Amino acid sequence: MNKFWIVFSHEYLRHVKRKRFILGLISIPLFMAVIMGVSILAAALSEDNRPVGFIDQSGLFKDAQPQPAKRSGLFVTHVKIVPFANETEARNALDDGEIQAFYIIQPDYYATGNVKMIAQDSVDSDIHRDFSEYLLAHLLKNENPTIRTRILEGPELVLRTFDSDQQFNSRNPFGFLIAIFSGVIFMLAVNTSGGYLLQAVVEEKENRTMEVVLTSLSTDQFMAGKIFGNLSVGLTQLLFWLLMAGVAALFALRAFPDLRDVGIGFSFFSLMALTFLPAFVMIAALMTMVGSTATESREAQQIAGLFSLPIAIPFWFIAAIMENPNGPLAIGFSFFPFTAPMTLPLRSMLTNLPAWQVGLSIGILILAAAASIWLASRAFRLGMLRYGKKLTLAEILRPR
Amino acid sequence: MSSIKVNQISKRFGNQQAVDRVSFEVEPGEIFGLLGPNGAGKTTSIRIILDIFKPDSGEVEILGGKMTDEKKNQIGYLPEERGLYQDITLEVCLNYLARLKGLKPAEAAARVEQMMKRFDLYDHRKKKVKELSKGMQQKAQLIITLVHDPQLVIIDEPFSALDPVNTQMVKDLLREERDKGKTIVMCTHQMHQVEELCDRLVLINHGKVMLYGKLSDIRRQYSGQEVIVHPLNELPAQIPGVSRIDRDNSGYILHLADQTTPQAILKNLVEQGIPLERFEVALPTLDEIFIQVVTSRGEVS
Repeated sequence: MNKFWIVFSHEYLRHVKRKRFILGLISIPLFMAVIMGVSILAAALSEDNRPVGFIDQSGLFKDAQPQPAKRSGLFVTHVKIVPFANETEARNALDDGEIQAFYIIQPDYYATGNVKMIAQDSVDSDIHRDFSEYLLAHLLKNENPTIRTRILEGPELVLRTFDSDQQFNSRNPFGFLIAIFSGVIFMLAVNTSGGYLLQAVVEEKENRTMEVVLTSLSTDQFMAGKIFGNLSVGLTQLLFWLLMAGVAALFALRAFPDLRDVGIGFSFFSLMALTFLPAFVMIAALMTMVGSTATESREAQQIAGLFSLPIAIPFWFIAAIMENPNGPLAIGFSFFPFTAPMTLPLRSMLTNLPAWQVGLSIGILILAAAASIWLASRAFRLGMLRYGKKLTLAEILRPR
Repeated sequence: MSSIKVNQISKRFGNQQAVDRVSFEVEPGEIFGLLGPNGAGKTTSIRIILDIFKPDSGEVEILGGKMTDEKKNQIGYLPEERGLYQDITLEVCLNYLARLKGLKPAEAAARVEQMMKRFDLYDHRKKKVKELSKGMQQKAQLIITLVHDPQLVIIDEPFSALDPVNTQMVKDLLREERDKGKTIVMCTHQMHQVEELCDRLVLINHGKVMLYGKLSDIRRQYSGQEVIVHPLNELPAQIPGVSRIDRDNSGYILHLADQTTPQAILKNLVEQGIPLERFEVALPTLDEIFIQVVTSRGEVS
């Protein structure tokens, strides 16, 4: 077996087999599941499912039938709509807590559409929507069913851009949330991998094992094995979390059918992969560089923070990016290798990205990754045999 | 074919000349001493030989040519800066490093087990390396150096941190390896170990070669001004060509005047009819030669 694979599997298994890693792996999805569960439960418990009443003063809705539920899903409930003969009866029912509100359809409803509502607390907007659909459905009951459905559901608006096949569905803001969520997972995985890599390199220096290792295999094989081994630890984490997110998404689709229309497709995921992967390699290489130049792990961790921090910068300016996804700030972030992996997928959910911007951004990222690997391998060669002595950037760059 | 051929290597770090036109050869099947005081350039020379550093000038041949990845599997190196992965168990650590030397997994496991038993470490195999004593870690390093049955062994201060029992075991091991035809380069400043083990040596000081050759030749080269004599009776008070006579246990040390050879003294004593039990040219110890060379700073061409 190639010695690269020996180093790779040693580095990989060393972390993956540890209890600490497994706990960390499971704890995040578990934590998310608990948070989600608690908030869903809280929402379900606070929801008022008591019926609403109505008094028909217009005489138009005498024989109105309850309509079949249109929206479906685990957490969607429809309150019953019950008629009352007069206001006093309805008032009594409200006071007794049998209904949560009642509507009074005014005598001039046909002409004005006037409806009054009486309630003790604020009423969920879904109930208003259900009630007006109820009224509409009754008024349209003799209409051709196709026309009736069209009027009740309204148009389904799809935004399409001229120069690409990208499309935005009018109904869903969830794509944006998915971009943010993926970004957060990416950041966590980068931090894990970066942290392990940093530790693995500094450890080599602290343990003074370099000379034995260098007389066993080449520096390049060794460094590549270390980088990819530790990178794979982060990737394992990333894939596991994405898998968990997939499971959660399946569940969410059952619970919230509206999500089915999220306009996320292959192009989004390939954009994400194309920005995340070079960024991942870049950060890993920079961590290796820091690890080889520093003398002890605490010092290395302080410097490493300087690299992982800028990745999160786009999140601080998220409002500005959302407001103006084609503004100079957003475009600037797209071309800076540290901020690009967060900015580009986010913008793709908000606007139509010109192809040249995507190309340039990914090109810059790949160049930055290559440059980082170059720097890291120089730093590694020069720095690893310097016990207790720092290596300066000038020394790394100086031609030999 | 020499095991190592070092030809005029030089290396400079900043404004310090670490190694200055050093040349020597190591023959197959010998224990070769690489000596010198601290900071003389020994470790830098070894690192150049092992291709960890590139020399500024000069060249090195190892096992008959340039260093390659295949050759790395035939070399065992015990560096001066001792290091093991501290946070994993001894067994995992040794197996990993043995596999980096090209051993197959099963082969590595078998060899590691055998060596751990020989070095009395087998009962500690499940302990983390950091929990082992210094001496145990030193033995673990020796295992890594020898586990893949290398043709060429380079060891830097092999006896530091070892107790007398283990020192003896390592000496026996080194002789055993030599008898199997392995080449051993031993880097040290413990001169009595060199005297005991080495066939030939090179002495480096301030990056330059000061002494190079067979141990016996070097000692002879530095001898000649003292003779040890054990007569059956008393010695005469005056012997021609002897500047001073000191008593030494049961015999005498004769300090010879300039231009006088031990042979002339022996001839004189025999002619005088003095019965002798022992007559010996006093060879200086390597320690004495070392101090003399290092303090006088003479260079060997």
